[in-house]
Amino acid sequence: MDKFAVLQFYGLLKREVLEHQNLFIGAPAVVASLLLVACTWVATQVDQSQLAELLRYVPVMSDGLSIFELAPFFMLLAIPFILTLYICSVIYLTNTLYQDRKEMSVLFWQSMPVSNLKTVLSKVFVIVFVVPGFYVLIIFATYLITMAWLTILGINNDVDLVGIGYMFLAAIASLVLIYISIIVTSLWLLPSIGWLLLFSAFAKKTPLLWAGGVLILVGFLEDFIFGTQFLANWIASRTSDPRQYLIFDFQSVFERVFNYDTLFGVVVGGILITGAVFMRRFTD
Amino acid sequence: MKGLILGSRYRLLVVTLIIYMGFLVAEGMIIGREARAKKCVGFCFEFDSADLEEIWKRRNGNENIGVELESMGDV
Repeated sequence: MDKFAVLQFYGLLKREVLEHQNLFIGAPAVVASLLLVACTWVATQVDQSQLAELLRYVPVMSDGLSIFELAPFFMLLAIPFILTLYICSVIYLTNTLYQDRKEMSVLFWQSMPVSNLKTVLSKVFVIVFVVPGFYVLIIFATYLITMAWLTILGINNDVDLVGIGYMFLAAIASLVLIYISIIVTSLWLLPSIGWLLLFSAFAKKTPLLWAGGVLILVGFLEDFIFGTQFLANWIASRTSDPRQYLIFDFQSVFERVFNYDTLFGVVVGGILITGAVFMRRFTD
Repeated sequence: MKGLILGSRYRLLVVTLIIYMGFLVAEGMIIGREARAKKCVGFCFEFDSADLEEIWKRRNGNENIGVELESMGDV
């Protein structure tokens, strides 16, 4: 691959991260801080010796389970982060192309040797691969602080730390599962990403309202004109069951990515992303 | 053709949505896609999307009965 093209794409990714630090780094950092504050408050309410007693049961709880069998339990701790990621992704995707036009920076970027395709693809790449990385790093930092605190507590109360170390390894394995889950979810929801980008490039005002309004309108039109509900059925079948895209073990990754529904979603998402690329030529 | 589609943002949006919907409807018709039933049980309510399907079918059934009655004319 051309080295210049790689550097150019890296520059576009860096620009996205720098321009949206609040959503990509600030928001998960705030969630982590709130969780740590909440944990500290809970810990101050409980007696230290009782906490140490709980720590003694940690090896018993994980007895007989491998690290990879324990990892899914730690994924539950990441739920607040994943919810924050979804909310921040919607905010980012609805505003990113709209903001470029609003502040006229689109004219600057179009004067550079960067195509609309590369710009839009960099935004998709950021939301699918880069942002989950930041979230996982912040979850890792949260685990690290919690483990350090538990280790100090264990040393002070003469508790065997083997169980805590084993839990920490399981937590690390869960981070890999979380990262893969978020990527698979993004591929699964690529039509939604394309839809939001299309309206971000289209709307002169309130892109989120346009995206939601047109989705409802198109659904009604399909019902009135053709008497079918394939759009509603499709949305329902893709959003009703999170087990379709959440990964709880490494064996199911290939099966989740390379199945008909995911690949069809990628094609449909591709249609909408292509629309967003062409829509970006309208800079007014 | 290119000028017609890319002439204005509204035309481009309509064309994109037509392609998107056409693709979805064609695929839905080929594989016979149906919404997966969703059941949600709360402490004070119970929702099952299969019930909505039943209501929908019943409504369509009532409409058909209406058509049949109309076709019979005044009795």
